[in-house]
Amino acid sequence: MLTVEVKKTLSDNRGESFTLDAEFSVNSGITTLLGASGSGKTTTLRLIAGILRPDEGLIAVGSQIYFDSTRKIDLPIQARRVGFVFQDYALFPHLTAEQNIAYGVRSENKKSKLDRAAEMLALFHIEHVRRRFPREMSGGEQQRVALARALASDPAVVLLDEPLSAVDVETRGRLLDEIEDVQRKSGVPFLYVTHNHAEAARLGEHRITLKDGRVVQEETSLKKPL
Amino acid sequence: MIWSAFKLSLLVVSIATVVVGVVGLAFAFLLAKRNFRGKELLDAVLTVPLVLPPTVTGYYLIVLLGRRGLIGNYVYDLTGWSVTFTWLGAVVAAVVVALPLMIKASRASIESVNPQYETASYVLGKSRLETFFRITLPLARRGILAGLILSFARALGEFGATLMIAGNIPGRTQTMPLAIYEAVASGDNEQAGLLALILTVVSVAAVYLTNRLSRSQAYG
Repeated sequence: MLTVEVKKTLSDNRGESFTLDAEFSVNSGITTLLGASGSGKTTTLRLIAGILRPDEGLIAVGSQIYFDSTRKIDLPIQARRVGFVFQDYALFPHLTAEQNIAYGVRSENKKSKLDRAAEMLALFHIEHVRRRFPREMSGGEQQRVALARALASDPAVVLLDEPLSAVDVETRGRLLDEIEDVQRKSGVPFLYVTHNHAEAARLGEHRITLKDGRVVQEETSLKKPL
Repeated sequence: MIWSAFKLSLLVVSIATVVVGVVGLAFAFLLAKRNFRGKELLDAVLTVPLVLPPTVTGYYLIVLLGRRGLIGNYVYDLTGWSVTFTWLGAVVAAVVVALPLMIKASRASIESVNPQYETASYVLGKSRLETFFRITLPLARRGILAGLILSFARALGEFGATLMIAGNIPGRTQTMPLAIYEAVASGDNEQAGLLALILTVVSVAAVYLTNRLSRSQAYG
């Protein structure tokens, strides 16, 4: 379970500031974090991963505390077991799909890294892109490699930042099915950020709605087709 | 004269290029990735030999490293040795004048790597050092290589600062550009022409390669 209680004020170079003040928890399954652009969704993910530091608050995954301002705990980004799927995937352009996935495997043994990468490629049915570079893959393939890379690092929670925004509508439904399938197989909780109501409705289960940096709604609902 | 100047130039430039590569990359990383007071001043000081008359750069090297120089006098007191009028002096001159090209090219190249890739690497558990060597460096390698080639060419053509600190001693500190000067001064246009041709070919090749490297971007 992921517990988040964070305050963070950001100011842009025009001197305008934005305050995120959010409190929620993520249990098993997929939780969607829904909100318009500028509502603080991406900031929330970056705080959890340790890319940004909250002004105050608490972030914990299970019994592992990532951040606690009262106890002065701030686990470095590398020590947090977070899988992150970036909006534009951030696949390393000079590495093949296999090398991208193996890069994050937490093992010093080269063979076990490659074994894990092969396992992930099979899980996502993308063995055919094993030796391809990101620029040689379709958007859907890149998205799968990004998710495979995040999962290969054996994370305690997976954060997805609008992972389907760069994929065409036809592929989107299929990828959503795959994401659900992979989540079930891995058993790791997913926090799925989107501004797309249809996507959020399609993923169903737990939904948190952010507006202007605050949680305005938390609900558990039934799934609807996309 | 040609052969010994050629051999000496090769030795001086090889060592200078290795030093420029290592030192230049370290400074480029510092300037591209770290924020500290006086950062742009440091960049300016390291870059200024690019625009200073080489004789002025050479003069400062004497002030620093000469037998009675700010640093050089300690070395001389301890060892009885000085870098002036040795081939190592020519290496020092080549390093100082070529370093700005290496720093400029690699700093720009390192800064152009999308920081998202580095963030992704940290999230995957990699340290700053490992991320630099496995992500940043390979993605910036074209600019770094271009900087190395330009530095090599600049070091090969170094004349003024070398003359100041190492002198022009045939067989000991006389590199190719100095040999050309002496050949022309003594009316030996044939030798001068041959050496000039060698330096021209190498320089044109270096600029051509650098342009090719900067024009074809392998990664987005």
